[in-house]
This record gives sequence, structure tokens and C-alpha cells, in this order.
Amino acid sequence: MRFLQSSRLLTVLLAAAGAWSLTAIDWNGPWLHTGGAASFLRFLLALFPPDLSADFLLIALTASGQTLAYAVAGMTVAILIGVPLGIIASGVAFTPGSRLRRPSVAATRFLLGGMRAVHELVWAVLFVAAIGLSPLAAIFALGLPYAGILGRIYADLLQDVPPEPIAALRTTGASPLRLFSYGYWPMALPDLIGYTFYRLECAIRAAAIMSFVGIPGLGYQIQLSLHDLLFDQVWTLLLFLVAIIVAVDLWSSRIRRSLLS
Amino acid sequence: MSDAAGAPPPLVATDGVSKAYAGAPAPALAPLSIAVAPGEIVALAGPSGSGKTTLLNLLAGIIQPDAGQVAIAGRPLSQLRSGRELSELVGLIHQQYDLVPHLPVIHNVLAGRLGQWGLLRSVASLVWPQERQTALAVLAQMGIADKINERTSHLSGGEQQRVAIARLMVQSPRLILADEPVASLDPARADEMLSLLTALASASGKTLIVSLHSPHLIRQYCTRVIGLNRGRLEFDVPTSAATADLLDRLYDLEQLPPEVIV
Repeated sequence: MRFLQSSRLLTVLLAAAGAWSLTAIDWNGPWLHTGGAASFLRFLLALFPPDLSADFLLIALTASGQTLAYAVAGMTVAILIGVPLGIIASGVAFTPGSRLRRPSVAATRFLLGGMRAVHELVWAVLFVAAIGLSPLAAIFALGLPYAGILGRIYADLLQDVPPEPIAALRTTGASPLRLFSYGYWPMALPDLIGYTFYRLECAIRAAAIMSFVGIPGLGYQIQLSLHDLLFDQVWTLLLFLVAIIVAVDLWSSRIRRSLLS
Repeated sequence: MSDAAGAPPPLVATDGVSKAYAGAPAPALAPLSIAVAPGEIVALAGPSGSGKTTLLNLLAGIIQPDAGQVAIAGRPLSQLRSGRELSELVGLIHQQYDLVPHLPVIHNVLAGRLGQWGLLRSVASLVWPQERQTALAVLAQMGIADKINERTSHLSGGEQQRVAIARLMVQSPRLILADEPVASLDPARADEMLSLLTALASASGKTLIVSLHSPHLIRQYCTRVIGLNRGRLEFDVPTSAATADLLDRLYDLEQLPPEVIV
């Protein structure tokens, strides 16, 4: 019985699934297709040097700006939806024993789950089908699943604040919404912001991929260069993507530090 | 003082309150009846697990008794609408002060008003502090008026302790409960904490119930001492009658059942 209750069962199941997946490999055939090694090598060598011509750098810079704009717009939608839903889903702002609490928490958790269960590319296909190839489609395709992720994590972070200061605030006669604004929110805020920045990084990556459904940006440029087998250009674009992510990372750790100190 | 003619009605009275926690071998508090008059400064003494914290939490309305009743200012605690009314009667301070470390000092102090303020005013205060003068006055009394806008986590332990007392002063309940407020303090800071708390209580005519271990502090600051052991009342005497022997016996390990001594 203990075996069934422990996490060991999960470990064994996962290990078995991993082992079973090995049977899907054709062990006798070649691992790379004909010419695969050569073209992979050609792709790697194109890094030395990437395309650094002024014309192309301008294209890469513009594309970076576009990708960043889509990511920020999508995250804005995600935050606007994720914050209120996350607060409701955490259940901390309800009067203890309120009959609204359970159904509200369950309903918002379900809604958030549904939003993030569908990948942003699938949302993109749905929105493009509904409103056509427009920036709005991409922004909502990014915003909805990210709202689902943010709301869920916001709810968890709010539930995880230390209970003692909350209990102390409660003895001053504070109602749940006052407890929320004086206790839960300020104590969770550094983590909420830190996680939101981490998600912004993911949104930038996702916005680049979004280009494959037709919006401008780094992904679209990468697609064009790949079509023409211009690997040195692909490298330039990838380096721009890395640079944006690193910049956001530095920015977020700076803000987090100022919030924590 | 209770045998004086025309004794004042007690501010807080328990009538046979008891409490047991699920899974615990013995009740945390056996039926206990005590009464404390307004203005008294009462020490609760007893070894760990004797029921001091349980009693304080019952008096604060944080937990409910299994049986019996707690009355404050003549009104059963269970009949008070939680929140505003309770916060006017009872305030609680803990060993760890339990401030919100991320907020500036002023908001931790003004949190003592949350039971009185409406929601809009409470939230607005986070941006435009309300009753700033009130906060400034109590912080000045605590000698840390210059820290009013600092982040609470930047303050030293001693300063945070003063912020916690300042919050209690702003809340201004008639009964102040202090749960081992000096348990982790060095002797000088313990002394300071108790003199601040007791001075505050006697200056404004408040009643104070504080759990304490040190016989020296009990005798110096309190008017009466209640000894608890294994959830039962061992003695309830004026501090003048609390001999060293009486207090020592309370902590005598021989008295404990063998399973408690590990």
C-alpha cells in the first residue's frame, strides 16, 4: 500500500515509459539521413561569421522590435486577465466560510486551466480563422494561454505567503480585502513580478514563433532566410533573439533586487 | 484587589473553558475559570505545552473553546461580530512581531486602524497615508519617528518590536495579550520590551496578559501571576506572594509524565 501512495510509483511508471519509448527507434538504420551531417555542419559553420552587413542588421533590428512589441502586447493582455482571475482563484480575498468561495475558486481554476491547456500556436490558428491575419489575432493568441499560466501561478504565490503576519493583521479586525491589500499583495509582489518577467522571456520566444502564422518579426525573417539556405542570416537573427532575452533577464533581476532590498 | 469592596467587574473572564487538539494525548487546556480586572498586568507562567498559548488564542478569539465560554467586558466572545468589535477589545502581540516586512513602517503601524477604516480608505492609505499624525505620534513615543517611511524589513529587531507595539497602540484595544514577547530576546532587550508594554498599559489604563518564563521579569513588571501546568491551573497569586520556590516547582521536570521528557 505504501508503495502505491509514494511518489516512487510515478518514478517507476516514468522510467518504464522511457524504456518503452526506446523500442520506437530503428536501431539498424542510419541515425542521420543522407547528407544530413553535411548540411548540419554547413549550418554550424555559417556562424563564422554571421551576416553582419548593415542592411541585414537593420532588418534584424526591425524584426526584433516587432517581436518585442508583440510579446509586450500579449503579456499586457495576459496580465490584465491573469491578475484578477489569479486573485479569485487563490481564494484569499473571500470571507472565511463564504459560500461563494469554493465555486468561484473552482470555476476560475477551471477557466485558467482551459486557457493554458491550449498552446499559443493553436490559439493563433483559431484566431486567424476568426479574425484573419491581423496583429490582434497574434496578440490574443499569446495573451490567452499566458493569462492561464500567470493566473495559476499568481494564485499559488498568493496562497504561499507566510501565515503569521496575516494572522496578526486579522486580529486588528481587518476584513479579507484589507488583509489582501496589506498582507497578501505586498508580501507576494516581488515573486509575482519576478515570475511575470520570466514569462515575458517566454513570450518573446513565443512571439518569434508566432511569425510562422504570418505576423512580422524575428520568426518570419528566420523563415525567409531558411528558405534561401542563408544560414549566416539565420545566425544573426538567433543572436538578436538571445540578446533580447538576456537584456530582459538583466532588467528583471535589477527590478527584483530593488524590490527585495 | 478583587476582595476590595465594590470590586470592578472583570474585563475578561473565562468560565470553564477547555480545549483539546485532535491527536494530542491530553487536553491542551482543562476546564479553566479565571477573571482579570481592568488595569491588571497578569503574567502567565508555565513550561512549554502547559497551555499558555492556547489560553491566549482563546482569549483573542483566534480559536474556539471545546466547552465553556470567554467573556470580555461582560460580552461572550462568541457573540461579538468578528473584526471591528473584537479589535476594539482585544489585541495580540507575538514573539516574532509578525509585521509585513515589505511594507513601509507607517503602513504596518496604521494597520492597527484596519478594523475601523472602510475598505476604500484602507486601500487609499497605501498611496496617501491617512492619519499620518497618529502614526507619527506613536512612533515618536517609541523613539523611532525617523523610521516612519523606511521599509520594515530594514529595521533592526529592536526597532521592529517597537513598530509592533506602535501598531497595538494605534489599534488601542482594552485587553492586550502578549504571547512570549521576550522569548528570543537578550536580557536588556527583554527588559526594554516589557517596560514599553507595561508602561503603555498602565498609562492608558489597559489590561495586559503576558506569558513569561523569567521569575525576575514576572516580579518586576506584573501585579499577578497565573501558573499553568499541563493545561491545569497550578496557582493564581499576586506577584508579592509568588516565591521563587513556587515558580521553580512549576518548571520542575519531575512533575511531567515520562513521555513528555525526551
